Amino acid sequence: MKFSDILASTIHDMKNSLSMVINTLDELTQEELHAHDPRFSTLQHESKRLNNNLIAMLSLYKMENEQLSANIAEVNVEDFLEEVVIDNRTLADTRSVTLEYACEEMLIGYFDEWLIRGVLNNLIGNGLRYTRSRILIRAETVDNYLVLRIEDDGSGFPQQMIDAQAAFNRNETLGEGQTQLGIYFAAMVARLHRNGEKTGYIELSNNEQLNGGCASIWLP
Amino acid sequence: MYLKNGPLEGKAYLVVDDFGDMRSLMRNLLMSCGVQDITPAANGTEAIGEMKRRRFDVVLCDYNLGPGKDGQQVLEEARHHNLIGLGAVFLMVTAENARDMVMGAVEYEPDSYLTKPFNKELLKTRLEKLIARKADLLPVEQALDRKDPAAAVALLDQKIAGKPANSSDLRRLKGEILLNMGETAAAREVYETVLAIRAIPWARLGLGKTFYLEKRYQEAMAVFQTLIDEQATYTSAYDWLAKCCKALDQLTEAQSALQTAAKLSPKAVRRQQWLGEIALQNQDQETAMAAFGKAVKHGRHSVYKHPSAYTNLAKVTAATQQGEQGLKLLREMKREFQQDPQADLYIATAESEIHEGMGNEEASRASLERAAEIYRGIDHLNDTGCALEMAKTYQRLGQEEKAVELMQNAACNNHTDDELLNEIKQTMRSVGVMPERLNTLDQLRREVAELNNRGVELARSGQLDEAIALLEKTAGRMPANRVINLNAALVLLLEAEQRTPTQEDCQKIDHYLQRVAAMDPDNPTLHKLQKRLSAMQDNTGVEA
Repeated sequence: MKFSDILASTIHDMKNSLSMVINTLDELTQEELHAHDPRFSTLQHESKRLNNNLIAMLSLYKMENEQLSANIAEVNVEDFLEEVVIDNRTLADTRSVTLEYACEEMLIGYFDEWLIRGVLNNLIGNGLRYTRSRILIRAETVDNYLVLRIEDDGSGFPQQMIDAQAAFNRNETLGEGQTQLGIYFAAMVARLHRNGEKTGYIELSNNEQLNGGCASIWLP
Repeated sequence: MYLKNGPLEGKAYLVVDDFGDMRSLMRNLLMSCGVQDITPAANGTEAIGEMKRRRFDVVLCDYNLGPGKDGQQVLEEARHHNLIGLGAVFLMVTAENARDMVMGAVEYEPDSYLTKPFNKELLKTRLEKLIARKADLLPVEQALDRKDPAAAVALLDQKIAGKPANSSDLRRLKGEILLNMGETAAAREVYETVLAIRAIPWARLGLGKTFYLEKRYQEAMAVFQTLIDEQATYTSAYDWLAKCCKALDQLTEAQSALQTAAKLSPKAVRRQQWLGEIALQNQDQETAMAAFGKAVKHGRHSVYKHPSAYTNLAKVTAATQQGEQGLKLLREMKREFQQDPQADLYIATAESEIHEGMGNEEASRASLERAAEIYRGIDHLNDTGCALEMAKTYQRLGQEEKAVELMQNAACNNHTDDELLNEIKQTMRSVGVMPERLNTLDQLRREVAELNNRGVELARSGQLDEAIALLEKTAGRMPANRVINLNAALVLLLEAEQRTPTQEDCQKIDHYLQRVAAMDPDNPTLHKLQKRLSAMQDNTGVEA
């Protein structure tokens, strides 16, 4: 057994424990006694981040071992985004961030729901750290691509990350300093999505609708 | 009404999880959504027990249930035995990526997967949508329940015409119903419409199935191959590719397709059994042993647990290792299949073959005699699997005449079933029956088909008495032949409808229909004839 296999099965085990922690925390936060205690918000936020990162790591492990391919299915994008927002809303509320989505009506997407959900959770988790007051998820069709954008009204991506984004899409080394697991994972997942000759990719930019950072996932 | 009930309320819920904490957490979540009727179950066996006791509207089942059945096996058993209605929601709760399960599923998929952890709002939204979707499909499901697929298709067409957001789901259902009806051309149109917009795996699979059912195997193979190129982890594509290869007698290719699928999802019990059987036909003992081993291991708690996986494992073990080893496996197996005559037959035939291989001629003969006796006792079940097993053993022990006779009976009783006939031939060839002898099966099939056709033609030209005489005589010779028995019932009905039928007429017709009902309760022609018989009885006031 390789070390990476042990790592993967341990991550799996950690995820189960973490599930219990998150569920219990959610229950506790429902109680009036704790509802306004900011420490709970920190606990929730950090455990969610842990969970999202574990999912990303497990998926990346599987991708490297070629055990993972995208399970492309039709997805009702509005229903999907509604669930993603609900999933993250409690957390956003406790941090006084408005989390919303905007989507064309009856928009149908073709992607791996589970993987993209993981990517969005991760990007929202990051966004919650850097935003001032809002996070917006937008979905639209551009040039036969489904584009999912996660925008915030924080100070935006640093210029060197925007400059380095081509490298993410080529699966090259991460930028200096912070390991941007969320972005790296998003790029890897986007690349698993193919339609005919087209391949998915990500795009980082600043000052879109909310004047902060904006990560876009382009899915063919 | 002052208070409007939410869509989640007033329904019966079953919560299946092996962790007490998780069960109470789920219970709390559901109760806070206004749900009151919640039954917990701590493992798969308990869950099945509860479902046998009463009907549930919603089943929330964790995939990982510790030792015993897993969530997929609970779903398979529940759907297989109709323990939950088509209108019930089955939600699979998973700790991580559901993909491995989705892709590995052979027959049944849950309505939705929910990944842990999830909060109350997410659970509520998901359940509301699923319940609404089921409610929307209720009339379609009712039509299917009353065996009226044409009405179900018409209802779906009405819905699709309104261009709803879930039109893709509706098309998928419509395609499946049409395939079950044998309306391959109409089904193909559905799948091609979907594929014109986007390469969707289920539509590609459906398209391939339409060709397969029309016996256009080369075209079907090309479609399944395309699907594999598009989505290499879609296991059903390999299953169907293997079916095509088998129909074209390309057994090596069939085996390699199944091996790929089995590697992707090793827990699919039926696929492992099938792989083992094909490997045996290919004389590939090593692959067969591994596949039957997995079928036994993963099938212990499955509704697809089958004695043949055990006896095949024992036989291969005996052949490649030691005879004693194989006999030991059979003794262990006896504990798992008690009071099961079919399993007893498989055990007796396997014992006979293993003893023969070990040179214990007397023991071998004794086991064979016991097998023959058990077989006489279950002959009325018309289990072709048992017949084939018995025939294989006769052949291996040098009693070719008896083997061929059994095969001829099976061929006569199922003269329209190409897949089965092909299976019989491939199996018998692999145990050394000469091809010339197998050709007599085709000859027999043609004779039965001719008798049947002559009966139908006589009826068409108005010679009902002659048709009845011929078909009743043929049905007497082949009591397990569905087509002949149905046609005998049909000509008797035609004749009786022309005059005032007697109670005796009705009983006679019912007798032939009962024979088919015992073997093939879902046969669509059977249902049509049963309806026609009861209509005639209603009109004339005769009771059967």
